[in-house]
Amino acid sequence: MARAKRSVGLIFFPAFDWCITPDHPEREERLLYTRDQILEEGLLDIPGISEFRPYVASDKHIQRVHVCVTSVAERVTEPHRIAVGGTMLAADLVLDKQVDCAFALLRPPGHHANRVVHGARGFCTVNNEAIMVEHIRHRLGPDVRIAIVDTDAHHADGTQDIFYNDPGILHISLHQDGRTLYPGTGFISERGGPAAYGQTINVPLPPGTGDQGILYVVENLVMPILAEWKPDIIINAAGQDNHYSDPLANMNFSAQGYARLTEMLKPDIVVLEGGYSIEGALPYVNVGIILALAGLDYTQLREPDWKPDELRQPKHVMPIVKSTAAEVWKQWETRHQVRREEVFGRSAFYVRDRSIFYDTDQIMENQHERIKLCPDCPGWREIDSQTAGGWSGQAKVAAVTVPWKACGTCRREAWDTYEQLGGSGRFDQVFYQDCGEDVFLCTPDHHQPWAL
Amino acid sequence: MQVIGIDVGGTNTDAVLLSEEWEVLGMAKTPTDHSNIFASTKQALDQILAHHNKRAPVQLHLSTTLSTNAVVEGRGDPVGVIVIPGPGIDLSTYEFSFPVYPVKGYTDHRGRIAADIAPAEVLAAARQAKADGARALAIVGKFSQRNNSLELAAKQVIEHAGLGFRQITLGHQLSGRLNFPRRIMTAYLNAKVAGIQLEFAAMIERLQAENPAISAVRILKADGGTMGLAESCSRPIETILSGPAASIMAAQALSRYTSENIVVVDIGGTTTDIAAIVGGEPVYQRGGAVIGGYQTLVPALHTVSIGLGGDSEIHIDDSGVRLGPKRAGRAAALGGGVLTPTDAAAALGLADVGDKGKAVAVLEQKAWAAGERFASWQDLARAVVDAFVDQLCAAIEAVYHSLENVPVYTVSEILASADIRPQAIVGLGAPAEVFIPLAAKKLGLPWEVLPYHAGANGIGAAAARPTVALSVHVDTEQGLMIIPEVGVRERIERGLLFDEKDACRVAVDHTAASAQKLGLTDYGDVHIVETEAFNVVRGFSTVGRIFNIRAQIRPGVRRVR
Repeated sequence: MARAKRSVGLIFFPAFDWCITPDHPEREERLLYTRDQILEEGLLDIPGISEFRPYVASDKHIQRVHVCVTSVAERVTEPHRIAVGGTMLAADLVLDKQVDCAFALLRPPGHHANRVVHGARGFCTVNNEAIMVEHIRHRLGPDVRIAIVDTDAHHADGTQDIFYNDPGILHISLHQDGRTLYPGTGFISERGGPAAYGQTINVPLPPGTGDQGILYVVENLVMPILAEWKPDIIINAAGQDNHYSDPLANMNFSAQGYARLTEMLKPDIVVLEGGYSIEGALPYVNVGIILALAGLDYTQLREPDWKPDELRQPKHVMPIVKSTAAEVWKQWETRHQVRREEVFGRSAFYVRDRSIFYDTDQIMENQHERIKLCPDCPGWREIDSQTAGGWSGQAKVAAVTVPWKACGTCRREAWDTYEQLGGSGRFDQVFYQDCGEDVFLCTPDHHQPWAL
Repeated sequence: MQVIGIDVGGTNTDAVLLSEEWEVLGMAKTPTDHSNIFASTKQALDQILAHHNKRAPVQLHLSTTLSTNAVVEGRGDPVGVIVIPGPGIDLSTYEFSFPVYPVKGYTDHRGRIAADIAPAEVLAAARQAKADGARALAIVGKFSQRNNSLELAAKQVIEHAGLGFRQITLGHQLSGRLNFPRRIMTAYLNAKVAGIQLEFAAMIERLQAENPAISAVRILKADGGTMGLAESCSRPIETILSGPAASIMAAQALSRYTSENIVVVDIGGTTTDIAAIVGGEPVYQRGGAVIGGYQTLVPALHTVSIGLGGDSEIHIDDSGVRLGPKRAGRAAALGGGVLTPTDAAAALGLADVGDKGKAVAVLEQKAWAAGERFASWQDLARAVVDAFVDQLCAAIEAVYHSLENVPVYTVSEILASADIRPQAIVGLGAPAEVFIPLAAKKLGLPWEVLPYHAGANGIGAAAARPTVALSVHVDTEQGLMIIPEVGVRERIERGLLFDEKDACRVAVDHTAASAQKLGLTDYGDVHIVETEAFNVVRGFSTVGRIFNIRAQIRPGVRRVR
């Protein structure tokens, strides 16, 4: 048996006893055929490819990212904790140099989960990659530079929300154009908050984009940006719904394309996201990703129904892809020349109001957010969040967040705000989250669901 | 019925006769003649038959190293393997050490034929194998355990052409497990050693003819169970590694711990084998047996072998005393010239072995050579014994650590991991009397050193019972039920009503029928050892169900008194 050229840690957790509902795309069967294909190809016998058992993440791990209303225990089930723990383990394996790279091939997924969590949206409750990123920073310190390249067909709106104003993170999302697919965001104008302007990069692609278009973007846009930004760690959020057979999206990507993408990107950590062509795509795409990570030959891999002529992307696609890529590249190159006041105003705070829909749990959330425009640090932030529908009927909460590398003034102002909001009686719950100091507080503290 | 157990080991051939009440009536031992296994087996049999009342029928259980040695030494027939890989991982990645002949054809993960074989191409491949010197053939397809039709069709083409291969092994018959490269290696080895096993079976039949009291012959398998002589000729690869399995079966047969978690530690001269028994059941090797660098799908008991034994090398340096992994030689106390752990134990009075004076002398000499490190020979002897116990305990810990970290695929298994940690330590082998009590003290466990350690493998062979395992795959959307090991591929009617209970019932019935067909009347209960049930959903509605069931007659033992 040939040895892997790069050693791969595989955290495979198909959660064969968990589903959202029995006929939901996110159900027990989702990784069954993938398991069968991986075992049958003998991948786990290849020296250098080893399988690991995930651990179960604690409240503390999750609260480094999320504000769960009313508590972690209320929102997060054991399967989520295992998916989070498995993703964190992937990072541990790489940081401990046990393996060269790791693949968290697990479910449930996470990239649609925002910082504030009222329920599940886009099949996601908590954000696996984001919690892993905080885990990495707690191990390596705040100066580590982490790039997340999200190749799911759906815009990674949750990951974008969490790291929008985070200068330590570069977040690139390639996805089917938000005008044609859930969640309807991810336009090139979404470029990051005041402290991380230009570090949120969205590449919306027209329906029908195939290997040619996606690989063009990776080669001519993603790789040059990564080369310039020089991340210490590259994470690939590897959704597999760009595949030509996916029932929920409309793209034309193939298993060969995914393997080539992985080979070009050379990610340190790959995390599965969506992908619901469970028989026709996932078994082959995942084998392709594992082979590419291991530096092994994947050229003989293809789907049984793969017909290159039928899958060639429509003629009109490539010009659109190229012009989008050119525009995004221009934005990247000029990001330092943009005057922050023009984008974020001259007040003390940058303010935005958003409506967020939780399709999975049928909740409508309205957010009012303000970020301190601080010259010395990324600035503290307050999120007021109000919901209607879903489990809670109505909930009104506020969260005060202190970023990594916060200055003394911001930390003091954030604390004063937390105390003041907590005593105001305007909110059912007020949360305080300090990333660098690893503090999470809540008033009143609803650790017990019946305390409400 | 009385039972004779014969274990053909690397050094000795042990024979044991058990009465109908499972008492040891007699034991015999003769050196194994590797150039003539038949002769030494016959000699052991003759010796043990002296204890036997010639008229009572007796069953003969044989554990041999024949296939194990053939695999390790690369003996047997030259084999060509025709493979039907379809797209996927490049075949060259597997780096097979034997010729493979890929042909067109592809079965997908649901067992659907995505591409057929081309008979002319298959025939050309077989002719090429023949021209390259192959005397036996194996045919293995990817996902052939989900649909055996391409393998069967290829075999038919080749048999029809009458190319005169001695043996044709089909991949799907050997295992229902998923793993194409392992299935290829297993089929290759099976075809390779089939000739050797046939010759052996013929000799055993002659022995049986000479001794009419022998009513039936059973062959030990790597999973601690037995199979019939005829079956051993079609699946000879399953007889590999039956020696280590026999020692675990002996521990189970002799131990007072019948239903607890125990760790079985078999300490020999060069190596120590560690095996886990959980709730009275031995733990299986994940994937299958690994032998001579070949990863196979042969079900085998999980044993970990470490280079530590009574005759281990002793290394002394500034970091302390380290033992093994190689054998130093014969203990000084027994007339050899080197210091071994056995000498340390003998000198300290922990074991009554050989000449204590010689042990003390070699210790004094080594302690002196090590300079300031040891104040006296007693210090050195204690350091050696401590190092033995420390290394043994660390190895036991490592075995359990890795077993506890075996990946699992369900939430419930992660949250409710079964407690597999040992409640007692059970020792086998001559040095066990010295080291097991000390290791048990360090681990805080009760201990037991088993009697008859000299002939334990023979007892294990005699006490073993038949095993049969079948994999049932049901796909109600396609209306199919598949049991690869016995070649069943049937339509199921009224798939909507077919549920998990039905699948389990089918699995139990087929396993029992299979045991009966193989003439194994003395088997225990059939257990369902794995179940998976999935809804097959397409476009938001359930269109069928998939069941994967594994049923097994588990290795059982008769408790020996």
